[in-house]
Amino acid sequence: MPSFDLLLRHPLLRTLTLALACLLAACNRADDPVYHDQFFAFGTLIDLTFFDVDTALAEQASRALEQAFMQMHNDWHAWQPGALQQVNAGLAGQGQASVDPAMAALIQEANRLSVLSNGLFNPVIGRLVAIWGFHHDEPPQGPPPARDRIRQLLEQAPASTDIRVDGGHISSRNPAVRYDLGAFAKGYAIDRGIERLKALGITHAIINAGGDLRAIGRHGQRPWRIGIRDPRQPGVLASIEPAGDESVFTSGDYERFYEYEGRRYHHIIDPRSGYPAGAAVSATVIHPVAATADAAATALFVAGPDAWPAIARQMGVKYAMLVDREGRIHMNPAMKTRLTFESEPDTIVMSETL
Amino acid sequence: MTRADRVLMAIVLCSLPLLYLHFWTPGAADYSDSAGGVTQGADAGTATVLRIQSAGTAANTTPLAPDRQIQVPGPMGESTIEIRAGQARFLESPCPGKVCVHSGWLSEAGQLAACLPNRISIQLLGSRPRFDAINF
Repeated sequence: MPSFDLLLRHPLLRTLTLALACLLAACNRADDPVYHDQFFAFGTLIDLTFFDVDTALAEQASRALEQAFMQMHNDWHAWQPGALQQVNAGLAGQGQASVDPAMAALIQEANRLSVLSNGLFNPVIGRLVAIWGFHHDEPPQGPPPARDRIRQLLEQAPASTDIRVDGGHISSRNPAVRYDLGAFAKGYAIDRGIERLKALGITHAIINAGGDLRAIGRHGQRPWRIGIRDPRQPGVLASIEPAGDESVFTSGDYERFYEYEGRRYHHIIDPRSGYPAGAAVSATVIHPVAATADAAATALFVAGPDAWPAIARQMGVKYAMLVDREGRIHMNPAMKTRLTFESEPDTIVMSETL
Repeated sequence: MTRADRVLMAIVLCSLPLLYLHFWTPGAADYSDSAGGVTQGADAGTATVLRIQSAGTAANTTPLAPDRQIQVPGPMGESTIEIRAGQARFLESPCPGKVCVHSGWLSEAGQLAACLPNRISIQLLGSRPRFDAINF
């Protein structure tokens, strides 16, 4: 009678037994460890990926996130009636409004990041965005707004520094300020979503809101792998493996735009000129906090190929990449170590260390 | 080598193909062979199936071969999804902005496109996707 011991003592049998055990371990996955779910919020598709989470818990978490995102979407909407629009109405009318603690925290963080970005991320140019026609779910048809109308709004110079938040009270010294958190609310919401997942005990997850995401933990034995889409052609430009807890955000001119008389007008408005920012095609930021990554991606896009490193430094961004209109790739040295390019780019314009 | 060794070896060797048959599920190799235009191997993260979700209904997955068009009903009407050479796209949709159609071809497992007005999303999935998510 062969003993089990024999399996481990005999070299050939030992190899075969090990091979069999490995095969069984590799194949015997009754359930796929990856859980996927999707829902619509913030005018985009929210894609959830959990690794190694009990199905009942995953479904519970998914429902909780959907509810939370719907609530945030309604409260912080840039043009539909909701809590943020009440704030805007108050600021436009009496120059003040009352805010609950959640709204106060949201607005204060947006204002803080705006200051760090030298106002290139400006959360209070809602009127400018509106006259460009981007306050609709569908892209506008054009034409672009009249030059005079843009100049008029620029002269009023709405800035986050015009705002004071004092407990449950917000006031403004500039009647032209209107909050539009389009470059910020999605990131801020992802952060709240990740907090919720962690509270539920979920430690390996990705929340991807229309291409901007935060990833925590890992995909089992390997890190998560994120592909960064090429801004000008189908396919992936490079990939990155988030380290434990990181957000990857890209602002691009291809996300929301319209063409009028052969010119492309996209949704990222340069608060200095009042026109769509023209020097970059996309800006990608890696940062632990999604809200910061969101605001910074917009700010670096607006800053363009020359000024972006200074802004990145002020905003505490350690990894950034920018693609300019000629297709040249700009990045900082640390970013280079994080990226794996699908095909090595012809030229990389390397910035100073951030 | 004793007789017991040989018996054990025979049992282990015989069980290998059985296990293989039992646990093997059709993966990238099966579909990429029949998809014609797809030349990547099974290990390259080639997408193998398309997941189609219409709001309020359970998601459907469908293979990326043969080439064909699929009508998907949504609240605004039918959107047409085209599958060709292992890729997929929104060919037509009754929405005003056509953002979904402008998204173009999806070629990489993990990529997705959505028609928000018609509440339909499509996503390429692979048995071994190269990426867990796509940033854009």
